[in-house]
Amino acid sequence: MPDIDMLLERAQQAVELCKTAGADNAWANASRNRSVEFTTRDGKLEKVQESTSRGLSVEIYAEGRYSSHSTTDLRPENLQAFIAEAVALTKALQPDPFRFIPDPALFEGRPAVDLDLVDPALGQVTQAQRQQWCEAMDAAAGAHDKVISTESTVQDDSYMSAAASSNGFTGTKAETGIWFVSSVSLQDEGDKRPSNYDYLGGHFVSELPDPTVVGQGALERALARLGSVKGPTGAETIVVDRRAAGRLLGSLLGPASARSIQQGRSFWAGKIGQPLASDKLTIIDDPLLVRGFASRLFDGEGIAARQLPILEAGVAKNVYVDTYYGKKAELQPTTGSPSNRVITLGDKDLEALLAQVGAGIYVTSWLGGNSDGTTGDFSFGLEGHLIEGGKIGACVGEMNATGNLVDLFMHLSAVGNDPWKYSSTLVPTLVFEGVQISGA
Amino acid sequence: MRPPTRREFIGASAAGVCMMSMPSFLAGCAKTAPIESAVTPANPFLTWFGVDEAVIRSVLSELTARGADQAELYFQHSRSSSLTLEDGIVSNASSSVDLGVGLRCVVGDQTGYAFTEDLTLESMLQAARTASSIAQAGGGPAIEAFRYKEHKGLYTLVQPLSDVGVAAKLPLIEKIAAQAQAADPAVEKVRVLWSDYEEHVLIADMTGAMHMDVRPMTRVWCTVTARKGEETQSNSSNLAGRRGFDFYDQEQIDLLVKQAVDRTMILFEARRPPAGEQPVVLAAGASGILLHEAIGHGMEADFNRKGISIFADMVGKKVSSEHVTIVDSGVEPSERGALNVDDEGVPTQYTKLVENGIMKGYLHDGISARHYGVEPTGNGRRESFRFAPVPRMRCTFMENGPHTAEEIIATVKNGIVAETFTNGQVKIGAGDFTFYVKNGWLIEDGKKTAPIKDTNIIGNGPDVLSKITMVANDFRLDTGGWTCGKDGQGVPVSQGLPTTLVSSITVGGEDA
Repeated sequence: MPDIDMLLERAQQAVELCKTAGADNAWANASRNRSVEFTTRDGKLEKVQESTSRGLSVEIYAEGRYSSHSTTDLRPENLQAFIAEAVALTKALQPDPFRFIPDPALFEGRPAVDLDLVDPALGQVTQAQRQQWCEAMDAAAGAHDKVISTESTVQDDSYMSAAASSNGFTGTKAETGIWFVSSVSLQDEGDKRPSNYDYLGGHFVSELPDPTVVGQGALERALARLGSVKGPTGAETIVVDRRAAGRLLGSLLGPASARSIQQGRSFWAGKIGQPLASDKLTIIDDPLLVRGFASRLFDGEGIAARQLPILEAGVAKNVYVDTYYGKKAELQPTTGSPSNRVITLGDKDLEALLAQVGAGIYVTSWLGGNSDGTTGDFSFGLEGHLIEGGKIGACVGEMNATGNLVDLFMHLSAVGNDPWKYSSTLVPTLVFEGVQISGA
Repeated sequence: MRPPTRREFIGASAAGVCMMSMPSFLAGCAKTAPIESAVTPANPFLTWFGVDEAVIRSVLSELTARGADQAELYFQHSRSSSLTLEDGIVSNASSSVDLGVGLRCVVGDQTGYAFTEDLTLESMLQAARTASSIAQAGGGPAIEAFRYKEHKGLYTLVQPLSDVGVAAKLPLIEKIAAQAQAADPAVEKVRVLWSDYEEHVLIADMTGAMHMDVRPMTRVWCTVTARKGEETQSNSSNLAGRRGFDFYDQEQIDLLVKQAVDRTMILFEARRPPAGEQPVVLAAGASGILLHEAIGHGMEADFNRKGISIFADMVGKKVSSEHVTIVDSGVEPSERGALNVDDEGVPTQYTKLVENGIMKGYLHDGISARHYGVEPTGNGRRESFRFAPVPRMRCTFMENGPHTAEEIIATVKNGIVAETFTNGQVKIGAGDFTFYVKNGWLIEDGKKTAPIKDTNIIGNGPDVLSKITMVANDFRLDTGGWTCGKDGQGVPVSQGLPTTLVSSITVGGEDA
């Protein structure tokens, strides 16, 4: 029997165990992950890790009550005892009038699409091949006299899961991934040893770049950090690199859920149909991207996947609504969790946007910081470069950007044409006007 | 995908990173059935994992068959449970059980690692062959006799968490929620999360040493949402530690609720401080996050052995004021960062990083200690059996200095007091670090005036250490549930500080 069918059988058996132990309804998920990580430092083997991991989780609905459980101890007698305890525990909770197993009507219409997430060739990659790739990355990353050390990793995973419910849901999912990661530390003036990294990869071995590209990328990105100084304090135009822009979108969309809204902790409350960003921003949640990094045919509740507009020309269209908080907030379930986020593109690349802006700060990455999902207030550490004469200028860091997320996105003045494809948030370069920066 | 150069310090209120959603009604089912073996296990830990000396001997022998400088089996069984109150009812519970063994073979500074959740001899031998594949030649030492050491003392509970049922926890959770709801008419929603966690660890190393530890952890977390007119604010507080259920008495509940409500209500009055460089007074307690980021990570010896930390050449040098003594201690009883023994089997200790302003030494695991030719400091830690240990902090704090909090604030013309925090981060090589201030105060003319909120602070480690000019005598450890992330592994830590003045650092504010 293929592995994935065995997982499905395990999930179905767990549902039966829950029912036998007294649950009215149950949902079970069984998973398996094979993972290999191969790391070299300065071209020499540093660490090899290999594992096959497994897990089982169940959600129990009993007498109007609910609980969720997971275990890696799958020996039959232990599993049976685990589930019996879990059902007993559920019955000791307080009844919740809003708690129901997801409606089977939501399972219907599952798209018949091949998302193309599994590479059978992954299993054929040898340790010798991984070592060769790492050595090539290290060699390219180390090709500079300021290099103190390089570290390179090949990481790959082969994941599969199966879910079943007592009200008729079954579904399986499989996914492979392989990534090159390389990092470089450099000797700067004094004690400073700036470092940076690069990574590329995908679901398929055939999508991997030449490993030297990743090594060179890490070296270039580290060299760009040499001689960093603290930039000025003031209101600035910021051009946010596509690799850094995902953090801002994540903060904006984080509270866009029925859960946050119903719990009174979201600045999205009452904003459907209202603008939350400038008209430059359109975001669609798209679970059906072929080879996407968060693609799926159904979500964690079995809801059949479909595109969900989140923002259209800056106007809030939808939030993430699961069954439970949908009941509480009197909203129809959409999907409980994000998938891929696709941003409608502008017509300029980074170079053209920098030229258009003329002066300001080009943000290449964030350091720490946080935001308040209730109010939208944020403050993030940043590093990057001054924009001087429409071009990338002096290296700066040790600065913060501070403000309110809605106000920030209302000041979004341009969206690039260069989405970052190695993430589930396919965000291009973003330009914001009048952002409060604190530095020297 | 985890970028390799970022070290994140994740606070209790950062979303999605609470690896500690762990509690405990699963007492009975947690015990694993023994697998077949020739010898009856004598030790309760062996029984727990269903192994015996013959099995361990055989797996260790396979693990070291091609040579090893260090090798061990890390058996772990953990059990966790949580209960959540929302909208007035305890309507959600969760639990989990995790069982497995991690196998590590170290040659020089090279590591082979494998783990399995299937504790059969066959499966463990297979994992041992994988982990030992990095070794080239030679064999391991034959173990003559196993030496058992059960490590105790820092967090032995009167009542094991597995004996505390849901019936005992429900009234506690309801009491906290009711008190928070009644604390202010503006309070609209209250969420209370209880979690408890208990793990059994058995470390069997290649020399025949068998280290055993039972590690509890509890946390209670109260989140408040309040509304005044059109404005909504929310904030939270939590208490955590390697403490039993009995710790959470009325006094602790009062403290938790007061913190959660006060920290929320003050946000209605709070504003942003002015942007830019200014003096920052770090209030006693959770401000120890400064040490964790500014120096702690940079002193973890793996970064220094590799030459990539900004502190790599600073041992023996003066790095701060003579008032500054910074410690990483594994021996603070009942604290979240307490450990009887680290995850390599080394008893923990009180390790000085900086003494009277002079940099003393690093935080070591076995690999780095051999590299430097020193004794390990008991800082080899891991998230679980799925990870190889690396040098990590435990409880990181500064000892008391000669000043008082009042005199420190009085010296500041214009600046801020930083009081509560959510998270921080550091770049080990460049030395830049940040921490996020959730609540604090403006200082004007030597006095605390208006409340402030949501401000990121960013500085450079050695630079900020050199700008610590005053240290008060009011040290305390924070009892919030901090989790530190490094190399994709989260481990529980604690931090503390007496009131401390940093003469200048960049504050993320508005209206400069």
